[in-house]
Amino acid sequence: MDRVLTLTINGVKRTIYYEGNETLLEILREKLNLTGTKFGCGYGVCGACTVVVNGEAVNSCKTAFRNLEGAEVLTIEGLAKDGKLHPIQQAFIDANAVQCGFCTPGIIMRLYALFTNNPDASEDDIMEALSHHLCRCTGYESIITAAKLARDRLMEGAKLAQQYMKK
Amino acid sequence: MAFKYVGRDIQRPDAIERVTGKAIFIDDIRLPHMLHAKVLRSKYAHARIVSIDTSEAESMPGVYKVITGRDREPIYYGDLIKDKTPLAVDKVRHIGDAVAVVVADTERHARRALNKIKVEYEPLPVYVDALDAMKDGAVLIHENSDKYFRVSDFYRPVPNTNIATKYEIHKGDVRQGFEDADLVLEREFNFSHMSSAAIEVHAAISLVKEDGTVEVWTTNVGPFVVRETVAEMFGIPISDVRVHVPYIGGCFGYKSDPSIEPLVAYISSFVPGYPVKLRLTREEDFTSTLIGRGIRERVKIGVTKEGKFTAFEAELYLSTGAYADTGAPVIVGAVQSSGGAYEFPNAHVVGYLVYTNTPPVGALRAYGHPEPQFALERMVDIIARELGISPMELRRKNFLKEGRRNVVGEVFKSSDGDLFKCLANVEEAIFSGEKPKEDKDYYYGRGLAALIKAPIAPPFAAKSCHIKFNVDGSVSVNMSGADVGQGLFTEVRQIAAEALKMPPEKVRVYTEIDTQFSPWEWQTVGSAFTLQGGNAIIKAANKAIRMLKETASKVLKRDIEVLEYDGEYVYDKSYPSVRVAVKDICRGYVTEDGTVIGDVVQVSADFRMPGAQRPDPKTGMGRTGVSYTMGVQGCEIRIEKKTGKVIVDKFATSLDVGKVISPSNIRGQVLGGSLMGLGEALTEGIRFDSNGKIVNANLVKYKLPTVYDIPKEHIVKFVETPDAIGPFGARGMAEHPVIGVPPAILNAIYDAIGHDFYEVPVTPEKIKDALEKGGKS
Repeated sequence: MDRVLTLTINGVKRTIYYEGNETLLEILREKLNLTGTKFGCGYGVCGACTVVVNGEAVNSCKTAFRNLEGAEVLTIEGLAKDGKLHPIQQAFIDANAVQCGFCTPGIIMRLYALFTNNPDASEDDIMEALSHHLCRCTGYESIITAAKLARDRLMEGAKLAQQYMKK
Repeated sequence: MAFKYVGRDIQRPDAIERVTGKAIFIDDIRLPHMLHAKVLRSKYAHARIVSIDTSEAESMPGVYKVITGRDREPIYYGDLIKDKTPLAVDKVRHIGDAVAVVVADTERHARRALNKIKVEYEPLPVYVDALDAMKDGAVLIHENSDKYFRVSDFYRPVPNTNIATKYEIHKGDVRQGFEDADLVLEREFNFSHMSSAAIEVHAAISLVKEDGTVEVWTTNVGPFVVRETVAEMFGIPISDVRVHVPYIGGCFGYKSDPSIEPLVAYISSFVPGYPVKLRLTREEDFTSTLIGRGIRERVKIGVTKEGKFTAFEAELYLSTGAYADTGAPVIVGAVQSSGGAYEFPNAHVVGYLVYTNTPPVGALRAYGHPEPQFALERMVDIIARELGISPMELRRKNFLKEGRRNVVGEVFKSSDGDLFKCLANVEEAIFSGEKPKEDKDYYYGRGLAALIKAPIAPPFAAKSCHIKFNVDGSVSVNMSGADVGQGLFTEVRQIAAEALKMPPEKVRVYTEIDTQFSPWEWQTVGSAFTLQGGNAIIKAANKAIRMLKETASKVLKRDIEVLEYDGEYVYDKSYPSVRVAVKDICRGYVTEDGTVIGDVVQVSADFRMPGAQRPDPKTGMGRTGVSYTMGVQGCEIRIEKKTGKVIVDKFATSLDVGKVISPSNIRGQVLGGSLMGLGEALTEGIRFDSNGKIVNANLVKYKLPTVYDIPKEHIVKFVETPDAIGPFGARGMAEHPVIGVPPAILNAIYDAIGHDFYEVPVTPEKIKDALEKGGKS
């Protein structure tokens, strides 16, 4: 007998039938075809499945779907708006921080949560966030650069917005 | 020569798809009618299968088919040695071997049914190490290994042993060489098995259609080899198999030979008309694809007191696992590269490819090179110490350079690269200042290692390029190189733009490989794409330009020799205003009387390594490498006294790459490759228990380097000695940064604590152990 719950995914309210013990990753990929979120290990070590749930970065492979009634879920597909990349995505391109790109969506979502909650994140904060992810291609340097670039651009953008509001 | 687009960074053409989650990887493909497979894996490393009972599984919900290796006459496959069947028939030979398969409507249903299959085994002795499997009286892992089809006599087995094949090289007179030596040193080394461990696990989809043709989707960088293997398995023409390669989430070697594709194709043949998908678990990705490395080596080197090498002797033992097909090139490559970046006037090297009860060994970044060059570069440091000369000086005395020959007898030219400059760069980066003094918490050490590698590929290996000029003068480039993250598409775009003299934005590189549309190539392996693919692009570009000029010559009524092409126009060199637009030629140039001049501008070209040879069957010698890339790596490390942990403060890599095509991509290759090397040196390593079980077949215990493990500083310097055959002088380099890391680190560990390690990985526990047993205190 299927069960049902309602939650918001990438800004759209969705009512979803499920069996019982599915993970969020399974629902996203197999039920909703949101395949930008990746399977890498299935036990929360590689970070490829990271999405943002109620403002926090989580490993969707370890998140039970049944507990998500009313939750707000953001995946990589929900980040670019009207064909315009999010500053974090743009920073990954500009810093050439994408090689095979399999770990990229998860890392971008982790950084999105970090910079939303802590716009002034320090280098240590960034390193801590990235330590939840494995990348076999880049040697991480370009990813660290991209993260700092994104943080600085987001801060700059926020400052400009504030100045604009004051005027 | 001044370049316009080569040598500077352009945006990766595939970057936006990859940051938005829109890049389609294999697991993202959904086909109508698709079924899912799960594989029952052997829990025994070596056992006879007594019985398999699938009756209960067959009646589980959603199950379409349960398949065992006994359902049909066995099919043996393999590229060089046909020793493997898709499913185990009478025996299992490693933990993770495929025993039975459930095909169901969903993965969950397949998994549930899998638990209901009952298998009875009769265990046999287990060998996880080549040296044990080679002992007298060892049980044969393949009883009929001499009956397997082999592509040539080159791969013949030693009858009634577990030796799947043996490869030997003889250069000069090694006995005399040792007599001429003032010092002879002998040591034994062990390079543990490793996993490529890409973040994307293996998966494949196969559809056997009702008309008997087959379509396969796979994470494999050798779709044309997959196509040949599948066609041969089913006895159908190669042209009846179509293989698609979507985006690949990292390869690092283990996605280059067919591994799970023959199994998936076999499975799908039991349910014609249904695409069947198999996506492995992370554990299966360790146990049931291909692992790498796993070579033991005994090395003996003779040297004069002045530091000139006189003789090199080595025996290499590759624990190749349950099936030898994909390990054969590894042992051949290892023997050929065993003399490293040095000249040994006399050499005798034997490599043994030995069946063991472990997952099969295959390619892993630079396979066959990190293993023997780890042994060699450690030896060079130890010899320097014994002779009392600096490790740099000893290297300089023996480096390969113009006129010198490597162990397979290939003569080096000055255009092959400059090891001396690479060494000077690393000396300056690492050794120019004072080494930090030991303090309360840390020991400090420095080390270095040289490296060399050519592609390991059969002489027939080639890359091809199709160039199509569109009617607006833009260009489509179709090749079969897989961009596994190295930036291949970017490089194709840059080289094509340079060769066609047009901005990169006008060049579109096809991103999906499909054997139905893509030109033939062997595999995207061996760091060979830049050299071979780049040359194929230039050849194709020149053909296209020639065609444009031929048409222009008729249009402008000028001899072809006086015409020049600039990407937009073909014009008379002396009178540039006499010109015709490229796009007008491409559309089909219409003359005054309404007829059309010229051919459609689309061309193809390919490139094989000029002069590449199979080694001579008697001496093992020959022109097997053709294009070598050399370099030096070095490091400054710190060892934490309390924990034994190695911290890399500074790392330096200098490679002679001939010509840098894309600065930020090439730096990415060096940083990613050397971090992989650090993993091999310090944290990775597949560990087997005595039953043949991998005790760390997961990403918790198999420790891939994280962001906290990167060197605090990495100095990367390229030397650019133009290559004689490389496109714009460029050489391959993507695997190379992994090679010098383990010996450089272990040489630095000796420098720090005075203890020689002969095996990787060197974990903190091993260092603590060495410290307690009388290293520095």
